[in-house]
Amino acid sequence: MEEFITLNHGAGGKQTSELIDKVFKKHFENPCLTSDDASVLSVGNEKIAFTTDGFIVSPYKFNGGNIGKLSICGTVNDLACMGAEPLYIATAFVIEEGFPISELEEITSYMEKTAAEAGIKFAAGDTKVAGKGQVDKIFITTTGIGRITQRVNLSGANAKPGDKVIVTRDIGRHGSAILIARNEFGIDSDIKSDCAPLWGTVKDMLSVSENIHTIRDSTRGGVGTVLYEIAGQSNAGIVLDEDKIPVDGKVSGLCGMLGLNPLYLACEGTLVVICPPEDADKLIETLHKGEYSENAAVIGEVVSDYPGKVIMNTEIGSQTLLPEPQGELLPRIC
Amino acid sequence: MNEKLIEAKNYLETYDGRPLRIMEVCGTHTHEIFRLGIRKILSEKIKLISGPGCPVCVTGVGYIDKAVFLAFERNAIICTFGDLIRVPGTEMSLGEAKAKGADVRMVYTQSDAVNIAKENPDKQVVFLSVGFETTTPGACLAVKKAKNENVGNFSLLMSNKTMPNAYEALKNSADAFLYPGHVNAITGTATLEKLKNEGVSGVVTGFTAGELLTALSVTVKNLQKDEPFFENCYPRVVRPEGNIKAQKLMSETLIPCDAEWRGLGIIPGSGVKLNDSYSEFDAEKKLSVPDIKGRPNPACRCGDILRGGCLPNECPLYGKICNPLHPVGACMVSSEGACSAYYKYSQI
Repeated sequence: MEEFITLNHGAGGKQTSELIDKVFKKHFENPCLTSDDASVLSVGNEKIAFTTDGFIVSPYKFNGGNIGKLSICGTVNDLACMGAEPLYIATAFVIEEGFPISELEEITSYMEKTAAEAGIKFAAGDTKVAGKGQVDKIFITTTGIGRITQRVNLSGANAKPGDKVIVTRDIGRHGSAILIARNEFGIDSDIKSDCAPLWGTVKDMLSVSENIHTIRDSTRGGVGTVLYEIAGQSNAGIVLDEDKIPVDGKVSGLCGMLGLNPLYLACEGTLVVICPPEDADKLIETLHKGEYSENAAVIGEVVSDYPGKVIMNTEIGSQTLLPEPQGELLPRIC
Repeated sequence: MNEKLIEAKNYLETYDGRPLRIMEVCGTHTHEIFRLGIRKILSEKIKLISGPGCPVCVTGVGYIDKAVFLAFERNAIICTFGDLIRVPGTEMSLGEAKAKGADVRMVYTQSDAVNIAKENPDKQVVFLSVGFETTTPGACLAVKKAKNENVGNFSLLMSNKTMPNAYEALKNSADAFLYPGHVNAITGTATLEKLKNEGVSGVVTGFTAGELLTALSVTVKNLQKDEPFFENCYPRVVRPEGNIKAQKLMSETLIPCDAEWRGLGIIPGSGVKLNDSYSEFDAEKKLSVPDIKGRPNPACRCGDILRGGCLPNECPLYGKICNPLHPVGACMVSSEGACSAYYKYSQI
């Protein structure tokens, strides 16, 4: 039977990986492409990180940002996760006929401000306009280059038994903010997206530890999806302590009401960090001083049992599998 | 955990009396029991069975076929809660129908579907109304709204069910039931007292770790006495009289009818349909839907699973051709379904 693209293929979970393997890898695969947030390439003696990302978030404005800020943060954070200082960014806009220019300017002003904070320069751009109804308001694609100067070896494949698992702040904010902004549930809440450029956060961490094994930006699919990716890439298990995972009360309230798990809700300014146990305390201490990581926490550790799986120590002192995220939780969150 | 809970947990861990079968009826209970790892701490003498309390799971294949028929043959906009989208029909699921051009929209309340009908006056808009007493009042509100606002192009494809007669039908499957707290918050507890007098035992149960452990230990303790019992272990939410406003809404718009449950067959008086004052909103009548009999995959054992007759991993399809990405039966689709919960949580 003929197969079609469904929204599940865009959810960032198992079906996205299957599609990448079956269609894209089949035709594009080469040593430059990895499963990490950005690829690391050599140009002469320099190591650079390179990445691209498309943004179709709906609605394009939400509490804590808009599609413009998101499009800068997404690419900056992908570079930062490889330990790369963000240098240059290219932007491509697809805009629907009839879109207000004042709104476009609001979006670009957010981009300007966010890029300035991250220290990345606009270096190329493209604009296309599609007829009414041929695109939903505005889509943005950004592509970034960063430079790796420090001695780092960051990859999702580096997690080792005994390593600690850190999240840099409370989880699930972006997904929650988008849910609220869609106003589909008639729920009013002031949950703010965590959308933020995190090169500063990464730089601070690298200044106190050269031994970090993995840094991942947990976007689509949330922290749970990223942990599964790391467990798979590293062929190790990850055990989490449910009561140590930082979740804002409003986010957990919303999740309780809608039957969602904050571990699967998108973040846009939250990193998952895997480090040797002896470095965990100093990293947490450093993170607590940062603007975007005041409530960073160690939430679990890497184990040799259960390779490829994420296990939860539950509140009643039992252990259970964290189900692997599958399918469409919430389309168009980034 | 406080001392009382530790005591309840210890009791359940070390219980060494006669073997017991306790059925959790509600899909949310099934999910929470797995999420918390409760099965793992129970003594092997206590067996939990996941019952038919997930509305998606007990909805027949023919219902999906009717929805697909409405989408393609009546060119209707189909509005539904998310879980139904991936349930396989005989030919295709609604998700597959959508990819082939059917207008299938996910909504979060029934009233959203009425609004979609108002925005699309030249199309028929059908809401797929499944669920128990927790969701049924929303459907009642939607038809009342449609009637008051003269929205003539809105209708419901109904497969709503009520629990009490299902307990009767299931009473030989388990020693006691964990009653679904959210349903009882609407219906109250009078029917459960009546069931006790008819020999059916159970405990109204909430959804937190503490509420589940307490309800389970109360159930096991009561089962030692060998006489029917009923207790409300969720009194912070469930009152004896229930939610009178919601009950009134249902009695104004609905009448009982027989209903077909996947796996359980037809249970007399276990469904509801629109009464004569609202029958103009019945999609089957209004849009002349033929009586489509769905053909489920014959190897799928969802039916046995819903009756507690077998465990999900005893089904020949489980985990092989039936998994959450490619579900064959409804119990694997719904996030509250027993097969889905087993599959998601059991693979340590």
